[in-house]
Amino acid sequence: MSSSMQFYVSNLLVYLGVDVMACLGLNLQFGVAGLINFAFIVFQAAGAYTAAVLTLGPSTAMGGFQSYIIGAHLPFPLPFLAAAVVGGALSLLVGLVALRRLRSDYQAMVMLVISLIATTVVTNATGLFNGSNGLALIPQPLKSTLGLSPVGYQWAYVVITFVCTILVWVVVRRITGSPLGRALRAVRDNDAAAAALGKNVTQLRLVAFVTGGAIAGLSGAVLAQFITAWSPGSWLFPESFVYFAAIIVGGSGNNLGAIVGAALVPVAFLEATRYIPQFGYPGLVDALQWVVVGLLTLTVMWFRPRGVFPERPQRFARPPGHGTETKT
Amino acid sequence: MNIYVLSLGFGLITASILAIASVGFTLQFGVTNVLNLAYGDVMTGAAFVAYLVTKAGGGLAEALVAGAGSGAVASYGLNRLVYTPFVRRGTRLFGMIIVTISVSLVVQNGLQAIFKATFFSLSLPRPSSYTFAGMIFTSQQLVIIGLAVVAMVLVHALLSWTKLGRAMRATAADPELARSCGIATDRVIDVAWLLSGALCGTAGVTLALNVSSFTSTTGGQFLIPVIAAAVLGGVGHPYGAMIGAVVIGLSSELSASVISPDYKEVVAFIILIVVLLIRPQGIFSEVATQKEVAV
Repeated sequence: MSSSMQFYVSNLLVYLGVDVMACLGLNLQFGVAGLINFAFIVFQAAGAYTAAVLTLGPSTAMGGFQSYIIGAHLPFPLPFLAAAVVGGALSLLVGLVALRRLRSDYQAMVMLVISLIATTVVTNATGLFNGSNGLALIPQPLKSTLGLSPVGYQWAYVVITFVCTILVWVVVRRITGSPLGRALRAVRDNDAAAAALGKNVTQLRLVAFVTGGAIAGLSGAVLAQFITAWSPGSWLFPESFVYFAAIIVGGSGNNLGAIVGAALVPVAFLEATRYIPQFGYPGLVDALQWVVVGLLTLTVMWFRPRGVFPERPQRFARPPGHGTETKT
Repeated sequence: MNIYVLSLGFGLITASILAIASVGFTLQFGVTNVLNLAYGDVMTGAAFVAYLVTKAGGGLAEALVAGAGSGAVASYGLNRLVYTPFVRRGTRLFGMIIVTISVSLVVQNGLQAIFKATFFSLSLPRPSSYTFAGMIFTSQQLVIIGLAVVAMVLVHALLSWTKLGRAMRATAADPELARSCGIATDRVIDVAWLLSGALCGTAGVTLALNVSSFTSTTGGQFLIPVIAAAVLGGVGHPYGAMIGAVVIGLSSELSASVISPDYKEVVAFIILIVVLLIRPQGIFSEVATQKEVAV
């Protein structure tokens, strides 16, 4: 492979890893627990910002051309872990406000509003977040330690991304395959019935919400460390819809579906097509891409409303002495 | 001149546009329970229709009529061609939200593909300005406020005094029961979409009139304050939406002069969240339960 081709492929693989993580996290919230988190992108952005300010040196070091807080210059993997913690903590805060008493359509709308609040605050609090310029020159993990060529480092980063992705996948699978996962599905399908059986609905929702938020934070950290820049303009609320579209297309409630959806919608449609030749006026291809994402989602909703890989119905062994009629 | 009185004037205009938009949003939601997130993009579409009308030499009145008409047709068409078929096929609340988002993506970016991502403004003669008790309004802004008042009075009259309005309220309260009582709920739903679409179109044109320049994303961005106003009052309650619009509109413009214009929407949204913490169903709504999508 030529080196430009290697750059292209490794870029796509990193994006794939990031999107798979994000989709697994959102699938836990939306697909499994039924929480319509339209603010998902905020938690990803929070993780990305956390990782950025923890790897950057003090803001005065580079002539103070961008202002931000902390600047701890921490070594890899601490910023990644901190990003997950911040994503989870922010989710807990939002979840305590939004998930406790609101009906689910109100929850969805409050999440939209929270997403817009976050964008406004981040853009205007220039001392904290450097305003709409965002952050640049974020150091990459282990770059000087590994001492690889640029292409070599690209592949090293693919490995880092995939390790994180596999970790996320293991965690999510542990949850969805456990009694906790069944309880979450019960809350999603009928919260009143779940509550009547003694399940703490709010607590279960919070568990899914916080875990998903932590995963979002981690995925944001992986992305920001890769592209070495962070700006509020790339984390606006429509970006959350892309992940929703991915999960719907792949199969809501099914982890494999979330992975396939991540590969299809954000990667194949939005990232890979970035390199097709431009035609028409600048911006036409972008607009048409989004039209195609919308039409694709509508088509899938029409023909396979449960996605390419639908959630498998759970079957349980019948309890002894019950429903065992013998036909003769 | 007192800056607070001035910003009160701005607040009244914002509240007027919000009121038209959120009453339209909430009327349709109350009757059909479809959370139509493409509403903002239909607003943008109406603004573009008004733009084309004014470019062809039409005045403000023609632009408003064309905007309202195109909004009504677009909403009715969206429901008939997209939403109802999906509901008939068994798509429910979560799914319908995703369907409306997809439609929103298609409409918004379709408009952008057609009109390009640049700024547009309605080509109308320069308005004259008037001063009232320290507040300055242009003649166009007075039209916006007047339209909002007329629209609210008409919606109130429709809902309280006409047979159709009673049928709409009955369908909103319980579609099954309404149908058993001999109300043609499918026709009521059609009317709800038409009416909501006309309000949506009017709001789109007034928004374009007020912001001086708009893009293909203007309506989509305005949707969030619209939703906030509707939720604040209790979704599905037109009177709640009116109050919500006044609260959101006034608080955002007043906080712009008291705190900082940068945070004006944040203040309005925080009010929304605080109200929902105290009254999770919104100000007017009685019950905090959710209803199924009506066909």
